[in-house]
Amino acid sequence: MSAVTAGRAPAPAVSTRSHVLRALVHAEARRMMRNPVPWLCLALSVWGMWMVVPEPGEWPASSYEAMNPTAVPLLFGISLAVAVPFHRARLEVAPAAPVAEHQRVLARLLAATLFVLVAAGFAGLVAWRERDLGGLWIGMEPGRTTEALHTTAELSQFVVLGVLAVALGAALGRRVSRLVALVPALFVLWFVVMVYWLFGHASVTPFSIMQVQPLVLEVGPATADPLSFPSDWLLVGEPHTSGGWARQWVSGALAWWHDVWLLGLAALLLAAAWPRPGRRVLLAAGLALAVAGVVGQHVVIP
Amino acid sequence: MSSVLVQAALPTARATRWTPGAALAGLLVAATALTGYADRPADLVLAIAAAGLAATVVAGLQDPAAALLEALPVSVMRRRVLRLAVVGAPALAVWWLLDSLSTAQLSGPGPLLALTATGVAVAVWAPPRRAVLLGASTPVALFTLHQVVPSGTTSDVIAWWLTDPWWVLAAATLLCVAGRRR
Repeated sequence: MSAVTAGRAPAPAVSTRSHVLRALVHAEARRMMRNPVPWLCLALSVWGMWMVVPEPGEWPASSYEAMNPTAVPLLFGISLAVAVPFHRARLEVAPAAPVAEHQRVLARLLAATLFVLVAAGFAGLVAWRERDLGGLWIGMEPGRTTEALHTTAELSQFVVLGVLAVALGAALGRRVSRLVALVPALFVLWFVVMVYWLFGHASVTPFSIMQVQPLVLEVGPATADPLSFPSDWLLVGEPHTSGGWARQWVSGALAWWHDVWLLGLAALLLAAAWPRPGRRVLLAAGLALAVAGVVGQHVVIP
Repeated sequence: MSSVLVQAALPTARATRWTPGAALAGLLVAATALTGYADRPADLVLAIAAAGLAATVVAGLQDPAAALLEALPVSVMRRRVLRLAVVGAPALAVWWLLDSLSTAQLSGPGPLLALTATGVAVAVWAPPRRAVLLGASTPVALFTLHQVVPSGTTSDVIAWWLTDPWWVLAAATLLCVAGRRR
């Protein structure tokens, strides 16, 4: 009898642990979802996205570029909503608590994945809206399209930015001592990202947080014949450039490598929120991904 | 009474958490420097800086020792003014640095002061439990609404902190004076 009892003992322990984890995830998710800030921010993002409509005379690709920054209020809201429970975790729990710290952190992160799903939903909405508009405009004659749609690679950036927003909220929530100081910090961090043209230069864009394509690559002087360029190039020239012809370049490969860079950053940020055991793994993985992402982007950019 | 405030200035400055504000200032300086590199106007970056710095100054109103200091013969408003002066002076210095680095049309400390005063007014009149949080969120909310609300009367009213900052500053200061006993 005692042998049977001893044999079965580990099973309930694992089951109990998973039950506790599930219960924690539910509790944390309920709390995060009750926070009105991300939902208000989502409404602002959707409203901003709905206002983006191509207009005659706009800077070539203006509406195409304007789609991405509309996600910034949502990302700010996600970071803020995630930061609150991680800030609560700054209060020490007795070492003998039945749930270990890494389990509590894991539960919060699993609960926050709901916000990543919201970001994915927003990406889907952008894709649908662009098709509803019949496409957006890039380039000027003779290299122009009025049916440009963001590629899957570009849309995936919204999801990865959602992951980054969760990681940023977790890191700052865990590390900043006063909750109220998070409001200006997260605001500036995310809204500087919104000024996407700061990071539009080919040498800066691999390090950007929100990569907005197309990249503008100079291809010839103002005297060059635009018809001599390959017919599939989207072009922009005077008066929209300071002189000469440039190519408006959209690349799925660049967007995928940028996702890798963002995932690396997210892992590095998560390391700041994770308990000491396991932090090194996150740091190493984050560093490897970030370096691979930057190198990959540099290789792809012509 | 003023000598008490002068004596309290140094301990208040020591108790203030400077790291988040310093990191934020560094980020803003880097972003403003990038605008020069990108050869684009820095108006939007300066508007973000105004809202971010204003929120930081208002967030500085949070006093962990507030309950302890209530027994002192120094009013809450005087303690608020002291904290605003301690955090506001470096914020103004950062603003001046950003303004001198950029070639933006938006110039002068008007927007920063207007947003700060509005945030302080909200913090004075809001329910005490969340007063500072709501006050610090006010500049952020005003900036965000200004970005999202389409052109029209509502948008013009929201943008008063940019277009008529000194009037906003005066109105918010009056509200703060009216709530000096809160």
